[in-house]
Amino acid sequence: MEYILKNGIVYDPINEINGEKKDVMFKDGKIVNSVSDDAKVIDVTDKLVMPAGIDVHCHLAGPKLCVGRLYRPEDERRGVKPKTDITRPETGFSIPNCPATGYRFSKMGYGTVVEAAVPPLEAKHTHEEIIAIPNIDIPPLTLFGNNWFILQFAKEGRIEDIAAFVSAWLKITKGYGVKIVNPCGSEAWGWGMNVHGIDDPAPYWDVTAREVIRALAQANEMLGLPHSIHIHPNDLGHPGNFPTTVNTIDCMKDIKKNSEYRNQTIHLTHAQFHCYDGTSWRDVTSGVEPVADYINKHDHVTMDMGQVTLDETTTMTADGPMEYDLYELTGLKWANKDIELETASGLVPFIYSGRNPVHSLQWAIGLELALMIEDPWKVCLTTDSPNAGPFIRYPRVMSWLMSYQRRAEMMDNKEVHAWAGRKSALGTLDREYDFYDIATITRAGPSKIYGFEDRGHLGAGAIADIAVYDLEPNNFDPTRNAAEVEKAFSNALYTIKDGQILVKDGEIVKVVSSKHVRTEVEGFEDEEKRILEEIMPFFNRYYTVKFENYVVHDHYAEPSSVYKVNASK
Amino acid sequence: MAYEPPVTDYDKIVENCTCAFCGSNCDDVDILVKDNHVVGVRHACRLGASKIMEDEDQRLTVPMIRDENGELVEVDWDTALDKAAELIAGAVRPVFYGWSETSIEAMKPGLELTELVGAVIDNQATICHGPTVQAVQNVGYPLMTLGEVKNRADMVVYTGSNPMNAHPRHLARYTTFPKGFFRKRGRFDRTLVTWDPKYSDTAKLSDIWVPFEENGDYAFCNAIRAVLKGKELKQDVISGIPKEDIVALTEKMKNTQFGALFFGLGLTHTLSKQRNIDIAIQLVQDLNKYTKWVLLPMRGHFNVNGFNIFMSYEMGFPYGVDFSRGYPRYMIGETTTIDLLNRKECDVFMVIAADPGAHFPGGALAHLADIPVIQIDIHWGPSTELADVVLPGTFIGVETAGTSYRMDSVPIFMKKAIDPPETCREDEWIVNELLKRVTKLKEASK
Amino acid sequence: MTYIEKPSISNVVKFEDPDVAQVKKLTVMLNTGTDIYQGACKKRGSTLKDEYRKVAGVCYMDPKDMARLGVGNWDSVLVKSDWGEVVCYAAHSRDAPHEGMIFIPKGPWANVVVSPETYCCSDPTYKGIHATVEKTDKEVLLMADLMRYVYKKYVKEGDKTEELPSLGEMPIYKRKVRSQ
Ligand code: SF4
Ligand SMILES: [Zn+2]
Ligand SMILES: [Zn+2]
Repeated sequence: MEYILKNGIVYDPINEINGEKKDVMFKDGKIVNSVSDDAKVIDVTDKLVMPAGIDVHCHLAGPKLCVGRLYRPEDERRGVKPKTDITRPETGFSIPNCPATGYRFSKMGYGTVVEAAVPPLEAKHTHEEIIAIPNIDIPPLTLFGNNWFILQFAKEGRIEDIAAFVSAWLKITKGYGVKIVNPCGSEAWGWGMNVHGIDDPAPYWDVTAREVIRALAQANEMLGLPHSIHIHPNDLGHPGNFPTTVNTIDCMKDIKKNSEYRNQTIHLTHAQFHCYDGTSWRDVTSGVEPVADYINKHDHVTMDMGQVTLDETTTMTADGPMEYDLYELTGLKWANKDIELETASGLVPFIYSGRNPVHSLQWAIGLELALMIEDPWKVCLTTDSPNAGPFIRYPRVMSWLMSYQRRAEMMDNKEVHAWAGRKSALGTLDREYDFYDIATITRAGPSKIYGFEDRGHLGAGAIADIAVYDLEPNNFDPTRNAAEVEKAFSNALYTIKDGQILVKDGEIVKVVSSKHVRTEVEGFEDEEKRILEEIMPFFNRYYTVKFENYVVHDHYAEPSSVYKVNASK
Repeated sequence: MAYEPPVTDYDKIVENCTCAFCGSNCDDVDILVKDNHVVGVRHACRLGASKIMEDEDQRLTVPMIRDENGELVEVDWDTALDKAAELIAGAVRPVFYGWSETSIEAMKPGLELTELVGAVIDNQATICHGPTVQAVQNVGYPLMTLGEVKNRADMVVYTGSNPMNAHPRHLARYTTFPKGFFRKRGRFDRTLVTWDPKYSDTAKLSDIWVPFEENGDYAFCNAIRAVLKGKELKQDVISGIPKEDIVALTEKMKNTQFGALFFGLGLTHTLSKQRNIDIAIQLVQDLNKYTKWVLLPMRGHFNVNGFNIFMSYEMGFPYGVDFSRGYPRYMIGETTTIDLLNRKECDVFMVIAADPGAHFPGGALAHLADIPVIQIDIHWGPSTELADVVLPGTFIGVETAGTSYRMDSVPIFMKKAIDPPETCREDEWIVNELLKRVTKLKEASK
Repeated sequence: MTYIEKPSISNVVKFEDPDVAQVKKLTVMLNTGTDIYQGACKKRGSTLKDEYRKVAGVCYMDPKDMARLGVGNWDSVLVKSDWGEVVCYAAHSRDAPHEGMIFIPKGPWANVVVSPETYCCSDPTYKGIHATVEKTDKEVLLMADLMRYVYKKYVKEGDKTEELPSLGEMPIYKRKVRSQ
């Protein structure tokens, strides 16, 4: 089937198209340069056209989500929608059921959403949920930062063996890339402890976060994986944590990247939670400046925001000790889920409020980051959904980034507490994102960062993932109309996925299966085999499942989209 | 047990099968096969082996329908499926109950069918760990996978459960006896504690047995919490346990490196129901101020947790989900099976991979005598005595592969060892057929 | 710690225990739950058989209580509660002592006497039921007979269930005549 999307105003930063009136053509699910006369015409004259959105960091499928849903029926009861002829019933606000997750992303014009934390032992669960989520492609990141084998090898400096292990485990878990969460800290949580800073060793293993991060990054580059290491640093959410954040990025600066497409060797996730100055919640202030300054001066790092949206939500992370701290702080129901030999995790509901000084400051810090980092290619829009807010708020975050007026208004009329203005520089930042910048931080940048050469842009050969919004960039001022920006980005005029129209006029018109997007390294098989043989006795002794039953079988990951990587050694 | 000579006459061994019995989901079971028959089982406990080495006399092998004399009559698959589909399509308030002894793969079409006809879907959690789920929703859920306990725990507490009877390899494989990474001497590196009014088989193995009184669980946990918070106990004896002993035990629990609390239906089935679990969970949360503690409910069937997980990710609610309004509703006491039967609301009851005849109170079963019952199962059981349509399924983990979730939510792919009997059909196939046929009937009546 | 001390259980029921007064009827607390033998039988699928009746149709009692009632192992007892009455075998509990408490493994026999009341909590009341136990000379029914006797789903009007022939220990259904 051939289509021509006619006369839209196109923003496609990878191809340096900045608001040109242009046709976009696609055929059999791919973007093409020309189509025949038979092509079906979709008239989008003067409407805003972008590649479909890519979310670089979200928690949407897997065991943590499921604990959340199971123990928060109060959240599920928000956002209930009956079935229609096309869609299944929806439930949930911050932790929607799987069908709702797919529909809601699709309605916002998103086509690819990264699941940010997969414990290998329960990877099957993640893939089962991906099967249940419709309409988006999902690359899962596999957790490595507290894995016992990695801790041991990092201690011994066995980089090639780590590379072999990572390569094998990406296949075993059907994962896309390397995720690190509170390295050494989540292992310490196995004993109810934590580590502080990147040089505080894990109990027993006697290895530091610095060693683990560097080792995994070197292995990542040895394999030449499409994505860099993806890190949630130590000390999340602690006042005074910004030096840990800077040290984490800085300890990477001599590591050479091994990828044509991406620029970074480290992706810093939900940076908002890692940019606090001060010593306690009483004297906390923004620590954005030193972090933004570092990022502005160095090109080996990219980040995403982790923007607080001021909603009642559900926090969930593999950072087990952090969640316990949060429980002590709020007294709200605490869930925890430690995974043998691999990681920890925890959950606590959280009620962010604009009346609360700390939450308001957090809100300001996220925006400050996005506005103080000069190069939008280094920034991605996230809310670490659902941690700082549910993903359905992305359009609202866009509206804040696009309008200084709106931000000032929120601070002036007390939609946020005075701390937002007093303890951060947000009030002084009059930078405003334009549509090109928004397309950069939600499409083009993520594509580069993840090595998704086939998506995030509208060049010939790319998959036809396209979003059209009901805004006319030439007749519309986003700096003055925040509410309309939010509304338009929440309800795409069209969402096209692999050349199929899934959303029209803000409604789901078609439901398709999501693809499991994963990486497979080729040319490292011998090393993988060797390392598997070496660790198998240990595996059999200390895991409680048989290796044979641990592996994610192919049928859990259908349909798949596989990025093959040639290990260039 | 009498000595049984080892089985030597077999064609092949299928290794690392998963036992489809209790929530321990032991995945190290070897099945010995001869001529497509199971002739022996290795590594499974008595319970697991008994299921795998089933009694073939009572295997449901053919579809059946009751005739006007109330006798079951063998029919072909089409007739049986059409009859079942007709009942379901014509129902006003159907309930689809069970699912805990089948695979996730079979649940998928089951949920589709539920959405299609606006039924209530529910599983065995409704009569076992339902209160646990409610408690978790009240206060939280600090848990772990079983390997954490194996590798780290130096104190293991069982309460309201008797694993030596209900989960026989739980202690041996996961918690007490195995040599863990940080517990190289296995049993000798751990303190095993049982809180149970009865001197159960598990208590007999324990280092410490705390026989609190019947229904004394709440007060006992409360007392430990009080001591933890530095409060003076005002009574000399609480729930039958002397105050000094409570204080001493609390000290011990505080001074472990890694403690794990496992609880069973003994807690959920006494009068305070979910409140007992509330306080046990809070106790574990309090202990984390001092040292590492985790807990886990001892789930009974091998996929009872799987159903709750499956429903949570598909529809946001764990069990007792009512689709009669086109969207899922979950109201404990309202949309849950026993309550629906007690109120005589349900008009067609489908049971799959469960045996309400053996597990529901007579007061609830009485209603099943008044309405049509469809049974999908592998054995003739008490429920068959109340069933009007019987559809013979296959044995997950032996004859059919599929996914299950262990009590600690670790997903396990259960492989198959032999082919199912020719006349039986996989649960997934049966439910899919029902879905197709009901869809047709619904469309025809539009 | 004192609570570590474990009791020793006597293995015989002493009918002539001088401390024990004979009674006709005991008032007890009934608990139900899993038991390894019942579980094994159930999952094996041998529920029609005598072996299931022998593991699930059993009322486990404290030996002292058995002495009071004058019943020995495998004698029949009638258990009554507000919800119904059922005949079970009496048997000496492995978990004794627990005077005043009886245990019936979960199954069709226990179901008759437990409470369907969920107190709005989805879960019926399987434990802590007030009940009485008395001696009886009635037979413990096989599973199929019990189900028929209690629920009468397919019993024709006017038929007395007690007088119908036993359904036995094997499945009963009409097989299709297979044409060769
Ligand atoms: S403990 Fe449970 S899962 Fe393991 S063999 Fe026994 S019955 Fe099967
Ligand atoms: Zn994180
Ligand atoms: Zn995250």
